This record gives sequence, C-alpha cells and structure tokens, in this order.
Amino acid sequence: MSSLKELQNLIHDKFGIDPATLDPNASMREKGLDSLALVEYLFAVEDHFGISISDDHANVDTLSELAVVVDKLKAAQAA
Amino acid sequence: MTPVDVAVTGLGVISPHGDDPRAMFAALMRGESAIQPVFPELAKPAAAAVAPFDVTRWFTKLQLAGVDRVSQLAVAAADLAMRDAAAAGTAEPQRIGVYTGCGMGGAAALDLAYRGGPRVPPLTIPAFMPNAPAAHVAMRQGVHGPVLTYSVACASSAIAIAEAAKAVQRGEVDLALAGGTEALIVPGVVLAWQAMQTLAAFEPGEAATAVKPFAADRSGFALGEGAAFMVLESSQRARDRGARTYASLAGWGMSTDATHLTKPDAPGQARALRAALQMANLAPHEVGYCNAHGTATRIGDVVEWESLASVWGDALDQLRVSSTKALHGHLLGGAGALEAIVTVLALHEHRMPPNANVGSVDPACGLNLVLESNVQAPQLNAAISNSFAFGGTNSVLLFTRP
Repeated sequence: MSSLKELQNLIHDKFGIDPATLDPNASMREKGLDSLALVEYLFAVEDHFGISISDDHANVDTLSELAVVVDKLKAAQAA
Repeated sequence: MTPVDVAVTGLGVISPHGDDPRAMFAALMRGESAIQPVFPELAKPAAAAVAPFDVTRWFTKLQLAGVDRVSQLAVAAADLAMRDAAAAGTAEPQRIGVYTGCGMGGAAALDLAYRGGPRVPPLTIPAFMPNAPAAHVAMRQGVHGPVLTYSVACASSAIAIAEAAKAVQRGEVDLALAGGTEALIVPGVVLAWQAMQTLAAFEPGEAATAVKPFAADRSGFALGEGAAFMVLESSQRARDRGARTYASLAGWGMSTDATHLTKPDAPGQARALRAALQMANLAPHEVGYCNAHGTATRIGDVVEWESLASVWGDALDQLRVSSTKALHGHLLGGAGALEAIVTVLALHEHRMPPNANVGSVDPACGLNLVLESNVQAPQLNAAISNSFAFGGTNSVLLFTRP
C-alpha cells in the first residue's frame, strides 16, 4: 500500500499544509518547503516509519516520489 | 562638530507583562509581578517570569522549522518596534542595521537535543546559534545592512543599543533596530542557575515577591524571558519624516572591570557611569532616575550602590532608583533592552516604576529607592539604565527627554 496518505497527514501535522493544497506531483520546494524545512520533514518521516532515508534520495522533490522511496524502504525492511 | 542626536522612535516588547510597552509599563507602575513557580518536577523550587506569546501571530507552522523561541520572540518584538515607529519602507534595505543582544541563544533547542529522546533534531544547530535571532529579524524586515549579535551576558542588549547608536551617529545606517532577546526558561538552564547560587529563595506561594532588590533580606533574582527592541535614527531624520520621538539616547558608557569573571567591581561600574554622563554633558544631579541593574544578589546590590555613590556624591539622594527585575525577572541578554524601554517610558510618561518587595532597605546599599507605586515625576528630564555583566563588562545608557 502506498504511504502517500500517511505522508500527507504528516506534512499537515508538522507544517499545517492541507493535502488538498499540495499536489503529490508538485515540487515541495516550490510549495515553500526550503531545504531546512525539508530536512525536518524527512526526519519526521524517518521517525514515523522507522526507516532511514539515505542521502541517495536527497533529490526527492514531490510527495509521490517520496512515497515510492518510503514504500521501497518499508518493503526492504519487511523482507 | 556637534554629534548627531539619536532619537528613539519605536518600541516593541514581548515581555513577561505582555506585548504592549505602555501596558507593560502600567503593570510595572502598579507593582504587578510576573514571576511565578515553574517546573514543579525539579528538586529545588524554581520561579521565573515567562512571556505570554502567541507564535501564530508571526509564524506559520512551516516558517517555524528550525526557529527557536529566542528567535521567535525577537522577530515579534522587532516587528512591533518597526510598526510603532511606522518605519517600514522609510529606508533603503542596505541602510538599515540590526543590533541584537543575546546571552545564550536557543536554549530550548539545546535542551531538547540533550533531553528530548534518542535522536537529535536535525536543525538544532541553526536553531541554537546565538546570532539566529538577529538573522531572523533581518529576514523578516528585509534588512541588508549590518546584522550583528552582541553576547555580553547581562549587558548584551544595552551594548547592542549603544553600538546601534554609534552606527546612526557615524551615518553607517539610517535606521537601526536595536535590542535583545533571551528565552532560556528550560529545566536544564534553570538547574544551572540554581547551581550558581544566585536565584532567589522563596517559600511556597511567595514566588511573585521572591526578588527583593536592595532589601535587607534579598537572596537573588529570578530568570525572565522576553525580547525588546527599539528603533533608533537621527533626530533630524525623525523630524523630517514626522516620527514620534520617545526620548533621545544622549549618552552611553562602556567599561570593563578586568578584576573577576563574576564578581562586580564598583570602580569599573563608575567608569561606565561617568562616561555616559560625560557624553551627555550632564552633571549627576541632572539625572533624576536610575533603572538599576539591581539583581538582588548579596554582593551585586552593594557594589552598585558603591559605584553610584562614588559618582553621584552629595547628589545621590536626588537620584531615584528602582530595579524592576523584582517584577519582570532577569532577562539576561534581553535585560538591557527591556529595562532601557522601561527607562524611556519613565521619561516619556513622567512616572517612575517602583522597586518592589522591599520590607526594609539594606543600609549597606541605602539608595533613594522608589518604594511607592504610581510615583509621578514631572521634573524628570534625564534617566539612566544600568547593565553590569558577568565577564566584567559594564554598560550605562542615558536617555533624555527630546
């Protein structure tokens, strides 16, 4: 199952950004998440899912891309 | 050449007595204490003055990423000062400077890093760094000139105001936002100050009256938090743009004891007092009010009396003195700026706030304290604010009616 919904809930809890206003395929940076806010968000995502997102994924820019990464890491963990 | 006269044209506070400078001053005039018990879980009872603050008035959740409370308070107080001065848009961005005093930096971020859990939040460093408040003020106000932080313990923000005034006088900036901020009411820091043995002892239920500057039974201070900023510009510029002028910053003095890291020194303080008087070209008897450093420590209050007595001499009794730390606590890096604003408002309103909680004055520091509340001072034309720091740096700001 895609983690997109949970990621949307997390960004809403943390930064007050309504899922309806953030297209999963839109650039989070262009939506006002600067590099510092993005670091904080990824930290919260790691905590929430109990995963570690390596620097290889530093270019992730949309929630959809992030969901793919999170799903992959969760699947790797379950395997 | 006559030096440029520096005008105070805007005031902003996020203080233990709220975010309206005039209402804060009125509460101080009534002798209302903002000091209350904090952290009941600590082994030794603790009291502090916490600033009521609605962060959502200045920040969205997204904007708060990596912004410690110490910076939040600074952004708000500086913004209020700019609004009060109606100064936004009146100067080129590169002709505005921010001069900020801060003793510790982001204490909450550090405390969370140590005590918060298994992982340290990734933005702890940018949240903690002591120059973050000034940088956030600059980003919020679009300031492109000098943005500087002065960390001189309890004198930080008084020094910042003096340095800002110099920049205005030299013509380096047209507009200066000068003040300070401190927000360290977190368990780790309170424990550290308790260990230093400088905090006031109090019985249960008596936290509000625990701090008794210059009293025979004084036992130290309570920590306070908050931010205070003033807008400084040349009097000529203020007149030209029709700005209200609260007071002139007519003189300042800075000196260093170079004797002991934490023990104050009367000759060192006296040098700062004399320098301020000399710059303002005033005799001691012409200064009617002193907002004392007055931390209510056993040694500190006596040394402050000694330094004032040595400079004022026979005129000492004409100088009315109060330490308002009894009511708003000790804001450390923010203290100089908050107390400068109290001093400016004393001049502006011709009223002097009380030195609260004194049953009997210690004869070893027998100043002419303002012991009553609501004291009117129609003749008050000049007043000083003292800030004497750990590290031995002393700062005195001297304000006059414009």
